[in-house]
Amino acid sequence: MNLKMKKAISIFLCFLLIASVAGCGGQGESTSGSEDVIKIGVFQPLTGANAAGGELELEGVKLANKLYPEVLGKKVELVIVDNKSDKAEAASAVARLIEKENVSAIIGSWGSAFSIAAGNIVKEKQVPAVGASCTNPLVTQGNDYYFRVCFIDPFQGTVMAKYAFEKLNARKAAIIQEVSNDYAVGLANFFKEEFVRLTGDPNAVVEVSNYQTGDNDFSAQLTSIKSKNPDVIFAPGNFTESALIIKQARKLGIETPIIGGDTWETDEFLKVGGKEVEGIVFSTFFDPSVTFTPESKKFLEAYAEEYPDKEPAAVTALGYDAYILILDAIKRANSADPQAIRDALAETKDFEGAAGMITLDENGDAIKDAVIKTVKNGKFVYLDIVKAN
Amino acid sequence: MKKEDKILSIILIAGLFVFIAVADKFFNLYVQRVLNLCAIYTILALSMNLINGFTGLFSLGHAGFMAIGAYMVGIFTVPVEIRPMVYFMKPMHPAIADIEMPFIVALILGGLLSAFIAFLIGAPVLRLRDDYLAIATLGFSEIIRIVITNAQSITNGSLGIKNIPPVANIWWIYITMIISIAFIVLLINSSYGRAFKAIREDEIAAEAMGINLFKHKMMSFMIGAFFAGIGGGLYAALLGTVDPKNFLFVLTYNFLLIIVLGGMGSVSGTIISAYVVTAGQEWLRFLDEPLSIGGIAIPLFRPGFRMVIFSLLLMIIVLFYRDGLMGTREINWEMIKNFGKRFKLRRVKSGEVQ
Repeated sequence: MNLKMKKAISIFLCFLLIASVAGCGGQGESTSGSEDVIKIGVFQPLTGANAAGGELELEGVKLANKLYPEVLGKKVELVIVDNKSDKAEAASAVARLIEKENVSAIIGSWGSAFSIAAGNIVKEKQVPAVGASCTNPLVTQGNDYYFRVCFIDPFQGTVMAKYAFEKLNARKAAIIQEVSNDYAVGLANFFKEEFVRLTGDPNAVVEVSNYQTGDNDFSAQLTSIKSKNPDVIFAPGNFTESALIIKQARKLGIETPIIGGDTWETDEFLKVGGKEVEGIVFSTFFDPSVTFTPESKKFLEAYAEEYPDKEPAAVTALGYDAYILILDAIKRANSADPQAIRDALAETKDFEGAAGMITLDENGDAIKDAVIKTVKNGKFVYLDIVKAN
Repeated sequence: MKKEDKILSIILIAGLFVFIAVADKFFNLYVQRVLNLCAIYTILALSMNLINGFTGLFSLGHAGFMAIGAYMVGIFTVPVEIRPMVYFMKPMHPAIADIEMPFIVALILGGLLSAFIAFLIGAPVLRLRDDYLAIATLGFSEIIRIVITNAQSITNGSLGIKNIPPVANIWWIYITMIISIAFIVLLINSSYGRAFKAIREDEIAAEAMGINLFKHKMMSFMIGAFFAGIGGGLYAALLGTVDPKNFLFVLTYNFLLIIVLGGMGSVSGTIISAYVVTAGQEWLRFLDEPLSIGGIAIPLFRPGFRMVIFSLLLMIIVLFYRDGLMGTREINWEMIKNFGKRFKLRRVKSGEVQ
């Protein structure tokens, strides 16, 4: 009985393997032939640790594809691949998009590390890629084929330093950063530089303390910060840890304003933070209550129709922008040739995206305005806009 | 080994070289990448199997050893002139800022450093057994990662390093893989290897037979760490970038999965399973693509579905092959030559039974 079972299983496994190989081959043949389709590849973490972020970004790309399904009279086909929140997988996924699917351009990925890993391949194969929300400066640096529609960490850090200096009248700041997160470290570093420059006081940042992803007791760092008595605390990092930091800070009697970055904009942040996070301030890319451009209106209406019970996240708007930017580049290049698209992308100027006007600089990074938001009555509320200059 | 078998082995290796040459010339980037990744995972899984499967030390520190090798390659092979661009936030420490090494030197140094650190950590930790050893080594791998995260002027911290020259082509990787496999096979069949297996089966009995437990455990641990470092270095050069989040402890489970699936204590099982697991996940990608039969889109076929199927396959294999695909058996020439014969024999036997 057992032996029979084993045999049956082995045969089943063999069959599956063969079927999968056959399926693979078949797919390649059926898709490579058609000429009247322009393919855009999307690689995102759709399984694994970062699946939530990847899914949100993909939502925006799909929505844009629904609104603008055609370019140059040809149908645009999205080829979506999962990178399993893994760097090696991200690189293979992009190689697959280019070699097997012959895509004209690529969108992705949530998570700078995956984009950096894919960067080598798009550079070698000369296919342009547009990142939606990967903010690490290294993504586009030294890579002529990588672009992005979001601003980068240095800009966000600078924005918050300006805000702290001008609006909060802060002269002494403390930083508590998630040291294992490239995003948080980037923000903190450029916040410090700008804050020191604005105040003209080399000791304006009185303390920089670190924590690791997953920590949940911050009393040591906070006690030390409290003793230094800063005017403002800059705490870039993951939403759960940040909410806990704010909670614990208020419990310790720290009444100083606490400011941070766009990662805070999640429901979990509000849930974990409760009433203690009222009044915190952070910068982000997008706010549904502000229509930056006619395109934002279009995006918001389409989103409301598609997902009636949800508010669009910033990364969804950015995913949308990445898609329409590529489409615009194809139109300007009047060709689906990757090289022509790249050249058109590099010349992008004052492009109307859902999350603001986009002008790409010589690195391929977007120069755009930042939105400042706060928490009021348990909700994220628009506060201000900071112009890029 | 019989003379005939030796000739067959040489033919096999020659055939492999021909295959690499063909792959290098004619295969596209995607297929090459998957093949390269398979080979690197083979090296890493094999080195883990040496520690876990052959010596019976339940170690989960592989991601840490890999990180050491990967960072050695990452730090020292990036050309000096582009380093300021990579280390844009905090300049590289002046003591190492001007040291640039050829890939092979950095790769081997990475392996050696990894083995040396295995020696340091092994001295206290290898006194532990079973779960305790697993916990200690897991903690060690996390320590390595956190040290790397915080040593910003050396490793660029959480920003990671990019622009590692992509020297590791298919030739590099496959030749390293062949050397690693050959070394580990020879080691296992030597008196040291037999001592490792004796320790795995019964420590007390092995000690009673005069085997120096500590020395042999340490040796296995260090050799395993050496090859893990080499594998990590190749991994870094293949990807062209490293960052600390690469080396979270879940990475170790990838290799644990491979060796459990292939068989703890089987070299051929590890090789087969490294290829099946790595390439299999790529094959299964067709499940992620939308599929419609007769114009009706089947909602199951969407990104992420392949991981469901993959997990199901794993569950089936683990349920029905308790010891992995190969157990502790090996594929050798004898077995292949007898394959046809055995098949015939079995048919005759079952005929007798009926």
